[in-house]
Amino acid sequence: MNIKRVTEKEFAAWVDALTPKHTLYAPQAKEDRFAFDRLTAGEDLRLDYDVSILPPKKYFLPQKEVLIKFDRKGNFESVIAHEPFVLFGVHPYDFVAMDQLNTIFEQDNYDVHYMARKEAATVVVSDVQVASADVFAGCMGNATVEDRDGYDVLLTRLDDGSYVVETRSEKGEVLTGLLSSAVDADEVTLQQREQVWNRTREQLQKHKLEMTPEQIPALLDKSYDHPLWAEKAELCHSCGSCNLVCPTCYCFTVEDELNWDMETGQRYRQWDGCMLTGFATVTGNHNFRDKKEARYRHRYYRKGKYVWDMIGEIACVGCGRCISACTTNIANPVEVFNQLSEEQQ
Amino acid sequence: MAKPKIGIFDFACCEGCQLQIVNMEEDLLNLLALVDPVEWREAMSDQSDHYDIAIVEGSITRDEDAERLRKVRESADYVIALGACATIGGVNKLQNNFAIEDVQVMVYGDAANMPHLASTPAQAIHEVVKVDYMVHGCPIDAHELTHVVRCLLAGKQPVMPDYPVCVECKMKENGCRYEYGEVCLGPVTRAGCDARCPSNGFWCFGCRGYVDDPNLEAAASVMEQYGKTLDDLKSKMALFGSAQEHKL
Repeated sequence: MNIKRVTEKEFAAWVDALTPKHTLYAPQAKEDRFAFDRLTAGEDLRLDYDVSILPPKKYFLPQKEVLIKFDRKGNFESVIAHEPFVLFGVHPYDFVAMDQLNTIFEQDNYDVHYMARKEAATVVVSDVQVASADVFAGCMGNATVEDRDGYDVLLTRLDDGSYVVETRSEKGEVLTGLLSSAVDADEVTLQQREQVWNRTREQLQKHKLEMTPEQIPALLDKSYDHPLWAEKAELCHSCGSCNLVCPTCYCFTVEDELNWDMETGQRYRQWDGCMLTGFATVTGNHNFRDKKEARYRHRYYRKGKYVWDMIGEIACVGCGRCISACTTNIANPVEVFNQLSEEQQ
Repeated sequence: MAKPKIGIFDFACCEGCQLQIVNMEEDLLNLLALVDPVEWREAMSDQSDHYDIAIVEGSITRDEDAERLRKVRESADYVIALGACATIGGVNKLQNNFAIEDVQVMVYGDAANMPHLASTPAQAIHEVVKVDYMVHGCPIDAHELTHVVRCLLAGKQPVMPDYPVCVECKMKENGCRYEYGEVCLGPVTRAGCDARCPSNGFWCFGCRGYVDDPNLEAAASVMEQYGKTLDDLKSKMALFGSAQEHKL
């Protein structure tokens, strides 16, 4: 695969050439913040976004999606999306999260709805140009992804405004093929890219985790009865904002709905969250986690231990969205893990 | 099989929620294909003595209204409370913040002592009779009402959200109103509206009432951090949060 150095002008022309040919979803301004949305004009692309309100996982696991169409005689048909699309400008930490969800949705019960979208996607990762207020991906080892596989193109903006465009797969070639006139990246260019990466790893540490991510599971092993859970949960609204903006949260609820003919209907799923009061309520109205502190603790165990036990990965990539989303400031994972660690010693 | 009989009734309210039903246009025809409205003052003149489903709008603010509501309840298999005035007492409960005699004079002036204007403190309808389902909001979302009706006709329990508006607001990918320097009641207000106000640039007014267990103290605790006062929060909460079970 090739690595090109592309001038600012060539880059803009490339994006303009891509938009009519492909279904692109890319970061764009939404009021004074940013969100991934369908890109129809290259000029709307904002690769200088700090963080998107929702992570791009919404294209693999939409907020609400129809799974099955059925009728009351017992006939049903799965609804599976196949249209190819391009996720353009995914930040490295969000890619790491998507990669984790790919693993989870592929194993055990293979999720055909999720996987069809994943297979239909071409993922273009863009290194972070502007650090968001609460990002700590640098502490989690997810500030850059040059040593990871699973995405198709990697974009890195150099200080002179030019881009290093690295093609990582055949799917990626379909896009970067349109850049054939750009020059191959030379040794100097690759060194400049290294410098950008080094700087990014430093900058994406707005909160400092005082341990390595791999130490978190053992820390949580010893913290189940820590008073911190109840102290923090005191101010919890059970609003699920931390869940809903999280790139690694993937819980959903399933409902059936009947059409006006009262014969046909659809089964859909929509995002759920373990911080919501009724999340663990089962038949008979028993709630396995009816206390805020139990729900609050569960979320951190989910991030730092349960997924680790399942696939050996920490389910927090350091995007910092939960920190910004929580109006009562109790959702900072770095603060939680640091405090638990201090008080263990 | 005969179509289920529906009665629509109103008490103290602006009738805006019934208007949402009338405004359903094509969906109104879909609804009428499934049910038989036998009493609906706003839209027809017939009356009946039995209803499979009674849909009740408005708050109870007079003894004679409470009596009429009890009769509706006795004649109905299911009662659906329609809109904030019926489900939580809504803006009518603002009057409960004052002495009822003062309110009478403030509103009716010289006519305050007329017997048919004798008010009682406002009540949501579940505070007077048993209510089977609630369709919250000021005004309601007619789709939610028709969803509840379709569930009932299919013998299925409709699910009412017991989580805050933030859930739907986040799903709509809105920026948080608190970050725009506003006091928003989203974190304590029951969802189901698809975060309509925040999605259109307004804070949440709380029209669907509080979630079952709202953390009002948490809402109060962040006022200073956002450059607001407790009174800022309380004044927002007065509109739909007056005389509710949960208070600051």
